[in-house]
This record gives sequence, C-alpha cells and structure tokens, in this order.
Amino acid sequence: MGNPIISIKNLWKSYGSKAVLKGIDLDIYPGQVIGYIGPNGAGKSTTVKILCGLISDYEGQVFVKGLNLKDNALAVKSTIGYIPELAELYDVLTPVEFLTLMAELYNLDKHIALERMAKMLAAFGLQANINDRMDTFSKGMKQKVLITSGLLHNPDIIILDEPLSGLDANSVIIIKELISKLAKEGKTIFYCSHMMDVVEKVSDRIVLINEGTVIANGSFEELQQQQGNESLEKIFAHLTAKESLSDAADQLMSAFD
Amino acid sequence: MNIINTILLKLVLLPGVLYKKMGVNLAHLKAILTAKLIMDDRRPNGFQQMQQKRRKNPVRFATVSTMFVAVLIGSFFLLSFKFGDNYITHFSLYFSFYISFLASLLISDFTSVLIDIRDNYIILPKPVSGQTFVLSRLLHILIHVCKITLPMAVPAIVYLSIKLGWVAVAAYLPMIIMATLFTIFLINAIYILILKLTTPQKFQNIISYIQIVFAIFFYAAYQLMPRLMNNVRVAHYDISSSTAWFFVPSYWFSAGWQQLYHFAASAQLSVFLALSFIIPMASLWVVIKYFAPAFNQKLSLITGSTGEAATASIAGKPQKTNPSSYSEWLANIFTKRGAERMGFLFTWKMMLRSREFKMKVYPAIGYMIVIIVLMNLNMKNASFSDVAAQNAQGKTTVLLILYFSNLIIISALAQVTLSEKFKAAWVFFVAPVKTPGNLISGAVKACIAQFYFPVAVATLIVLTALGGARVVPNVLFGVANCLLITAVSAYISANKLPFSAPPNNKAGSGGFLRVISVMVIGTTVGALQYFLYDITAVIVILTLLSGGAAWFVFDGISNFTWIKVFSRYEDS
Repeated sequence: MGNPIISIKNLWKSYGSKAVLKGIDLDIYPGQVIGYIGPNGAGKSTTVKILCGLISDYEGQVFVKGLNLKDNALAVKSTIGYIPELAELYDVLTPVEFLTLMAELYNLDKHIALERMAKMLAAFGLQANINDRMDTFSKGMKQKVLITSGLLHNPDIIILDEPLSGLDANSVIIIKELISKLAKEGKTIFYCSHMMDVVEKVSDRIVLINEGTVIANGSFEELQQQQGNESLEKIFAHLTAKESLSDAADQLMSAFD
Repeated sequence: MNIINTILLKLVLLPGVLYKKMGVNLAHLKAILTAKLIMDDRRPNGFQQMQQKRRKNPVRFATVSTMFVAVLIGSFFLLSFKFGDNYITHFSLYFSFYISFLASLLISDFTSVLIDIRDNYIILPKPVSGQTFVLSRLLHILIHVCKITLPMAVPAIVYLSIKLGWVAVAAYLPMIIMATLFTIFLINAIYILILKLTTPQKFQNIISYIQIVFAIFFYAAYQLMPRLMNNVRVAHYDISSSTAWFFVPSYWFSAGWQQLYHFAASAQLSVFLALSFIIPMASLWVVIKYFAPAFNQKLSLITGSTGEAATASIAGKPQKTNPSSYSEWLANIFTKRGAERMGFLFTWKMMLRSREFKMKVYPAIGYMIVIIVLMNLNMKNASFSDVAAQNAQGKTTVLLILYFSNLIIISALAQVTLSEKFKAAWVFFVAPVKTPGNLISGAVKACIAQFYFPVAVATLIVLTALGGARVVPNVLFGVANCLLITAVSAYISANKLPFSAPPNNKAGSGGFLRVISVMVIGTTVGALQYFLYDITAVIVILTLLSGGAAWFVFDGISNFTWIKVFSRYEDS
C-alpha cells in the first residue's frame, strides 16, 4: 500500500472541558475514497476542520503527505481541496470573480485558472451564468460553484462535506461519477455524509466515528462480515444508536395517545 | 471596481517590500482585497445603511452620497475651533471628535466587514498565511476608512489653509493620518479584548450594545453642542491647564500639530509629537505580529463547533419552566386568549432577543429620549415647581412629556413586522388561524406593553409625585389619547404579521412621515387638552371615550381578514 497520504495519530480535541475527539487513529492511502460517517456531534466536522487547518489547538499528530500539519499548515492546505457543507460563498461576486480569487489564493496561474473554470462550469451547465452575481443562484447552482472552487487547483486530497445537498438527481450522478474518476486518478477523497446509501456506493473504505472515537473502519464488505449482511444504514444504527430506533418511533406514535 | 477603489488599492499596496518582510504574500493580498472591494461596491456598508435609514438613497449612489455626508460631518467638527482659547485646545477637541466618530463607524463596519464569517470557510482553508489574512483585513478597513476620512478632512484643510496658511495644513495631514491609524488599531484591540473576555456567542451582542450607546451619544452631542457654545467658561477653556489631558490620545495629536506647525523648544510638546507617531506605528506592529494568529483562531470559533457544545450544555440544564411571567401577566391583562395572546408573547420574546430588531429600535428610542429631554430643557424657566404649581408653564410641561413619549413606540411599531428571517413566518400562513388580525393586534399590543407601558407608568408616578393627585386625570387622558393615536396609526400602517417581511423594503420608508404625523396629531390633541385641563369632569368623560375608541380600533385590527393581510404583501 505504500505510505499513507493522511496519517492521524491519537488525535484529541476539546472545547472547554468537553472532549469532542478522543484519540482518533487513522491512516488513509492515496486513491482511496473514505466515507467518513457518524451521528450528529460525533466529531466529524471537527476532524475535517483540523485537516483543513481551521483548528490548530489539537493534541496528537496529523501528517499529510509526510508533513506535520502543525508545522506546515500552508503546504498542507495547498494539497487539499475543501468543499464545505453550507453553500458559503461571497454571493455578490460572479462565479468568475469568486473562482479567480480562489485560484489566486492557491497560487494558480491566471490563464490556466480561467480556462479550467470555464470548462468546469460548462460541464455543470453553468456557462450561461458565469458572469452573473451568485446572489440570484439556486442552492444547487451555488453548490456547483463551490465544488468547482474545491477542485480548481487540482488537489491531491479532496474533502467533501455533504456535497450533494441541494443538487438535483442528475447532478448527483455527475458528482458520484466524478468521485470515482478522481479516485482512479490517484486522488484521495474524504467524504463526509449522512446519506448512507451514497456512502455505501462511493466509498472504498468506511470510517464510522461515534462520541469522538473510531468504532468501525473497513470496506463495506468487511463491515458486512463483522456486523451481518445488512445495509450500511442498518449497520450504522446497530453501532451508534443507544436505544432501539423502532422503540423511538413507537414513542413518537404514542405521543398521540 | 470603480476608480476610487482602484487608486486606493494601488496606494495601500505601495509598501509591498515592508509587507513581504512581515511574511505577507503580496499576490494573495491583492486578490483578497480586490474581491473585498468589489463586494463593497455591491452592497451597502454600515455607514451607508445608517444613511439609508434616514433617507432612501438607492445603493448605487451610495459612494458619492457617503462622501458628501462625510464632508458635512467634517464641517461639523470645525465647531471645535469655537471652543477654548488656543489651537492646542481646538485641536484636542477636533481629534476627540474625529477619533470617537471614526471609532463608532468602525465598530459597526468591523462587524460587517472584518467579521465576515464566510471568510472562515472560504479563505482560511486556503494556503493563506495568518499575516496575509490579517493584513488584508486591516488594509480593507483602511481603504474603507479612507473613503470616509478623506472627504471628512477636507473642511479642516480648507479652514486651516484660509486661516493659517499651508504650513498648518502640512502639519495637520500627518496628524490626521496617525489619528486614523490609531483609531483603527484601538478598535482592533477592543475587539481582541472582547473576544478574549467573552464567548464568541456574546461577542456580537456586546458590539451591538456599544454601537447603540455610541449612536445615542453622538446624537446627544450633536444636540448639545450649540447650547454649550454660548457658555463663557467653555469658550475660554485652555486644555493645557489640566495634566489629565496628557493621557488622552487626542491631546497628543493636537500637541503634535502644534509642534509641527510652530516649533517650540518645549520638551513636553516634543514628547507628545513623538508619541503621536510612535503609538500608532507600534500598535500596528503589535496587532500584526502578536494578535493576528490568536485573533484568527477566535474568529474561526465564532461559527465553530463551540455552538454545538454550548447547545449541548444548555440542553443538559433543567429547563426554566416560567421564563417570563411578567410578559404573561401583561398578556393576560391586555390580550384575548388564543392567537392574539400567542402573537403578543411571540413578539415580546422576539423583540427582546432579536439583535437586528434591537439595533434598529434602541438607537431610535435613544434619539427620541434625547429630543424629549432637550425639548424640556429648552423651555426657558421651566422647572419642577411649575409642575407642582400647575400653572400654565407646568401644564405645558406635563402635556409635552405625555404626548412626546408616544414617539418612543413609533420605530418599534415600524420594525416589528420586519426581519432578516422573514421566511420563518410561513408558520403563520400554514397554521389554521381564522383571523390573522389577532396576531397583528397581539404584536402591536406587545410593542405598547414593552416600550410604552413602562414609560406611561413612570410618567404617571413622576407627575403625580410632582403635581399631586390632581394631575392624575389629565395624565390618564393623555395616555388614553396616545394609545388611540398609536392604535389608529397601527390600523393604517402596521399591518403585516410580526417579523414576516424582509427589511429595507417600502414598509420602512414611511417612518419619517409617521413621526411627523404622530407629532402633529399629538400636538393638536395636546393643545385641545390644554384648554380643557382644569375641567376635570370633562377630562374624565373624554378619557373614557378615548379609551373606548382605542379599544374599538384595536378590535378592528384584530378583525383583519386574510384577504386584507395578503393584500399588504402583494404590493411590496
């Protein structure tokens, strides 16, 4: 397998007295699609923020391409393409203006950047809108610009946080195809999502975290062998739900009585 | 980008070599600033929003009008040359005005410009160094400030060149630049301090309250200045007579000007001249070098997972069962069971919790209080003894207080239908509410209960204490009339469901008209009451009639049908 591209060793992070990550250990290899899943508050977005260099006061060690994240934050950031969950962008700008800024921040040559963004936006069917202000865009259109901004500098590692939200069915297919093609090119994909059916299909390896620790780590087939031949949704429920979920549904129904 | 931005951008990027030495990536810096300036062109900033509240300029003329208003404000600062005996006093006051005005402006713009939380997701994950990021913010603020300060300095330049010649102007320029730099870093330091002392959640609330206090303070200063000008002691004050001033930064800049303009072999003045250069430069260096990394860290927390952690800990606490029994008590008195009471309680809570609402309404209430206080001060020879004696002067005072206190509620009524989160009002539209008027009258009553009721009670107590029991019927009559005026104006204009319309649409534009009409009607009714003042029986009967009419109008509001309410949304 060679050297891991991302190596997380005994990662701890607390907010005040509340520990969110309690010793995460994880090695990720080039070309893998990692499905990073867990219930709300499990520590998924904290892990992502640490990987993206947004949080630096963590304990433990994170190596990306052999570089310690703490000492080489900028070098690490240049190899990562981050596509955040919320459609956070400067929406009074046009896609071209926004993406030009992104390209500049990644030290990308302007002509290459313009050519790439034109191609990518056209592939998303946005060629007619490249000079419109994004405040008029739908959620899906903004998400497409955001995805473009994360891929523009051709990063080796791509972190996607719920990338399909707001996209229509056809765009979802494009993104799923794109993920597997990027992985074939040797890119590493870190895919965070609550949509178990998508994670099940796109991931080579699934990492399930709960309450700040990794509780399952392996391919979907491996998880099935350990947990019984079930869908990822069921496996997820077995491993993370404290009480039976169908009991919860019963309780909801009994509220009417 | 417009030409002003292009020129300013070129100017701030001139010390590129220096920036590089601080570890800044120039290409990144330029890219971020370009994007930020384009964004500024396309949305109104805090200063322009402030003007927009008063008069409805379309945003595209905002840059020109901002500069024009800045020239006017700069002319206003020239008043400081009327105070005191010598230039060092004049300039101390001038720089005090300048620094505090700029600080108030920056505090509001920092929340919209510097604390753009989207930066956390857009810029911070990119390979941009902390120094570059912080410097881009500082330079952005600097450019932004220049667009205001340059026109603001023009009146003083003109004045000085006429009065003292070009040497005075040459001495003024470096000082105004240093004062500007000093203010920028002062605010930056305050921000960092607040971020250190408090949680990011409370941060924006604290900033909002500071802004509100500043706004009211300036309004009061603006109103008070002309009165002070005629004061002999103030006119001949010499600032150097008190050593306490030596610790005030505006004095340093003033002394610095004095020393540059007319060099004196004074060690003291030379020290202040040196301070006026060293302090701004040193603070620039400290902020970039030491505060920058910690600042970014804290900023990323403003939207970070602390939010989740905080909610989790709140969920762990036992729920308060009866959070506001006072409001429920009021609701039980003033509203009908059902939709109206629900509208009342909902509006009550929203008004107390929505920062947006408070930011718009509290300053307006502050202005009104300043006006009311000054109005009473301005009446020559008015005194408490007049109120006690109930002579003509005392009666006028009572009536003025009664009818002008009604102004307090106007902005609250105008704002209560508006919210950034207006889309959340879908709940009212999908719920099976038979007559939406109930929600509206509940909201109107909540405004009255929260803003007018305490004032009315206080007025009643104070005036009764001063004038004795005989003023009570007149006070009650005044209160009843105010309620009637409010009810009628609400019937005509306030009208949409609470917090259900986007801000800055046509709904807010009638504000000035509303103030004027309430003042005119109030004055007319007040004048009529003056003639009936001593005929207690008539006052009592009219109080009942007026109160009944108010009740009738409120009932009318609560009967608004869906058809009527919908029609209010269609034309906006």
